[in-house]
Amino acid sequence: MKQKLFVLLALFVVASMVLAACKPAPVVEKPPYDEVKFAPIKVEAPDCEYGGEFKSIEAVDESTVKFTLCYPDPAFPSKLAFSVFSIQDTGYLNYFTGDSVKMSDKPNGTGPYFVKEWVRGDHITYEANPNYWGEKAKIKTVIFRWSEQSAQRLLELQSGTADGIDNPAPEDFAAIQGDSNLKLYPRPALNIFYIGFNNTYPPFDNEKVRQAVAMGIDRQRIVDQYYPTGSSVADNFVPPPFNPGYSPSIKWYDYSIDEAKKLLAEAGYPDGFEVTLSFRNVVRGYLPTPDKVAQEIQAQLAEIGITVKIEEMESATFIDATSAGQEDLYLLGWGADYPDATNFFDYHFANDNNKQFGTLFPDIVTEIKAAASLSDPVARQQHYDKVNELIKLHVPMIPVAHGGSATAFKANVEGAHSSPLSNEVFSVMNNGAAQLVWMQNGEPSSLWCSDETDGETLRACEQVYEALLSYKVGGVEVQAGLAEKWEPNADLTEWTFTLRKGVTFHNGVAFDAGDVVSTFVAQWDAASPNHVGRTATFEYFGAFFGSFLNAPKP
Amino acid sequence: MENAIPKLSAEAIPERRSPTVETIRRLFRHRSAQVGMILLAFMILIAIFAPVIAPYDPVAILKEETRRSAPCIHLLGCPQEQTQHLMGIDGNSRDLFSRVIYGSRLSLQIGFVTITFAIIIGGIIGALAGFIGGWLDNILMRLMDVLLAFPSLLLAIAIVAVLGPGLRNALLAIGIVSIPIYARIVRASVLSVKELDFVSASRALGASKLQLLLTKVMPNALTPLIVRGTLGIATAILDAAGLSFLGLGAEKPIPEWGLMLGEERNSIFNAPHLVFFPGLAIMILVLSFNLLGDGLRDALDPRLAQNRSK
Repeated sequence: MKQKLFVLLALFVVASMVLAACKPAPVVEKPPYDEVKFAPIKVEAPDCEYGGEFKSIEAVDESTVKFTLCYPDPAFPSKLAFSVFSIQDTGYLNYFTGDSVKMSDKPNGTGPYFVKEWVRGDHITYEANPNYWGEKAKIKTVIFRWSEQSAQRLLELQSGTADGIDNPAPEDFAAIQGDSNLKLYPRPALNIFYIGFNNTYPPFDNEKVRQAVAMGIDRQRIVDQYYPTGSSVADNFVPPPFNPGYSPSIKWYDYSIDEAKKLLAEAGYPDGFEVTLSFRNVVRGYLPTPDKVAQEIQAQLAEIGITVKIEEMESATFIDATSAGQEDLYLLGWGADYPDATNFFDYHFANDNNKQFGTLFPDIVTEIKAAASLSDPVARQQHYDKVNELIKLHVPMIPVAHGGSATAFKANVEGAHSSPLSNEVFSVMNNGAAQLVWMQNGEPSSLWCSDETDGETLRACEQVYEALLSYKVGGVEVQAGLAEKWEPNADLTEWTFTLRKGVTFHNGVAFDAGDVVSTFVAQWDAASPNHVGRTATFEYFGAFFGSFLNAPKP
Repeated sequence: MENAIPKLSAEAIPERRSPTVETIRRLFRHRSAQVGMILLAFMILIAIFAPVIAPYDPVAILKEETRRSAPCIHLLGCPQEQTQHLMGIDGNSRDLFSRVIYGSRLSLQIGFVTITFAIIIGGIIGALAGFIGGWLDNILMRLMDVLLAFPSLLLAIAIVAVLGPGLRNALLAIGIVSIPIYARIVRASVLSVKELDFVSASRALGASKLQLLLTKVMPNALTPLIVRGTLGIATAILDAAGLSFLGLGAEKPIPEWGLMLGEERNSIFNAPHLVFFPGLAIMILVLSFNLLGDGLRDALDPRLAQNRSK
């Protein structure tokens, strides 16, 4: 009896081992949500009184989307090409309720690459999308890594563990150009570095104090000493290529210690004052050496009697604090997202959600709004000339520099480039190998970018997602994306997009007009269940298109 | 019994030197202590005469100089028309030599202040714990154990994170972190001495507790405290430099060596002089304290020295 039991037990063990050794047949991964069939849909605002730009978005048929605007917007295509407005599958979006964090675990887009894995704190691996509708990616695997240290990025490039890096230090430009294995790709300076004031805090509530500080900053010296070649001293808030926007005739205050001191005395501060200058020690194209420039400004302001204490803050904390209006004097900048002056002016000086400069200046707001609704470049420029003049008068900030930056790649990477909008496209590159490693400054915050503003995050998204339109690789011109054709009506208030056929998302679902509507509604309609994002602020949407639909009353 | 023991002649008795003199003699003969003392004296002199030695204001930006230019020393063939900068120009167009010179003041202050603080507080805690004993001993020593359970730099970072960055807070943090070591040393000495006969005798003669502690017990704890303290200064300087390197210590533009290193860590390949000289200065100062501490240990404990030399 006992023996029998033993034999049975042995058999059982052997049987279970055999069973364990046999692999179960691979289960075909099926998304846990259903494909949403196309049905014509129209989401419409009851009227245009709510303060936003959108009147309605309509999926007319499977491949036609119509946007109706409350006021004419000549920059509409440029805005729609921005990666924050990438299109997502309706079923997927509904399943994850537009939650950027959850979506980042299993990103789904239409782009030339899909995300294989994101090892938090270490790297992101992209694999080429074999079903891509356009020209397929040439390199099978692209890996994104990051380091804040420019020396480390350069070292990795030189030692061959990285094929391309972002923002090499200005001091290293010469070394890279002298190395035949490497190539430097200078990035045009479509950005602005400024010293921001918050006009709700004394003494910066006094216009004369702000003007005095503006005169006490030697901008030429800062650019000469701390910026690479290709940079220029800023006189306006927008960089020179922006036309309309840039006013060549308006020059900033001349540097003069005596004038500055005189003005300070007039304002009631003959002996200066004490103030804290906050900044983040994060390298951006507009500010290649943040802590050095901060100390330079500290020393320059000491000469006009202002004692500056420098406070270095963590990047995200700093951004949140400035836009909440908690920092009175700070160093910040802006890189162009789309090539139109509205991207600079509207976001900063005519945006109720942005409290970084304190209270808005009503005269500046009026001019900016007037310019944004015109389509004639000459008429717009007249308004922007006024804007630039008023900015010089009120000094909400001091424009310091348009900073040149660069990317560097190994010389054998074909198609390597740098983009003025910082959205380098890796699917056009080819290094003849199966893998390319890219090293940027920082880790993305998420991999669904509808609610992101950081360039490092946007670049990571841009490989995976596509918007209705796109920018030319390495340029700023708007070209077709998921939409093949687009046409406005005569007064630029109705835009009709004809969508590309045969596009599928990475999850296998076909792309149609319904996806466009649900993607935009998730951002536009504050009452939508998908209006979640990462922080639910959707800063870009607000800056580009004004108020949200059904926004909760404050 | 005529052949009694002959009287010892006075000359035959070797002159008895006081233990302090003997210790100092041994210290001055000790090779590594000699090197340590020379280096330390050199650094202290530099710190005292910093305003005389340094050619420029350490925080003044020299507008006519190109930032990050390499050292220019006339004796080594740098053209006369260029201004002499012994260690070059730093990333903000300041004279690096002046900054390194002034940095010695800060580092020495940091070392002495933190360790004095730690020895005083740690000494009181250790003496109380050892002398009174009982539940007080238990409580104090478990507290010290908790402090010791954290890696010291990590604990210092945590303290600075709570207090906010700044040189004073960094000093406080390093001081707090160093307390348990000294508390333990003092407590151990107190425990080993307090039941000895000469203490009991004093007590029997009516010495008060405080008197006993200060005159009989504490002097015996002095030797290990001095040795440990000297070595501790070296660690404290390193820790403070580490905190400043991480941006938690001295604030810009204070010429603190660790801060100077941290600011320029990206320059190690394209402008190595910016990290070389502050690094070298830290090394020399820390080395001097370590050598001196080693020598002191040998000099104060002859048995250890003899064992070593065998």
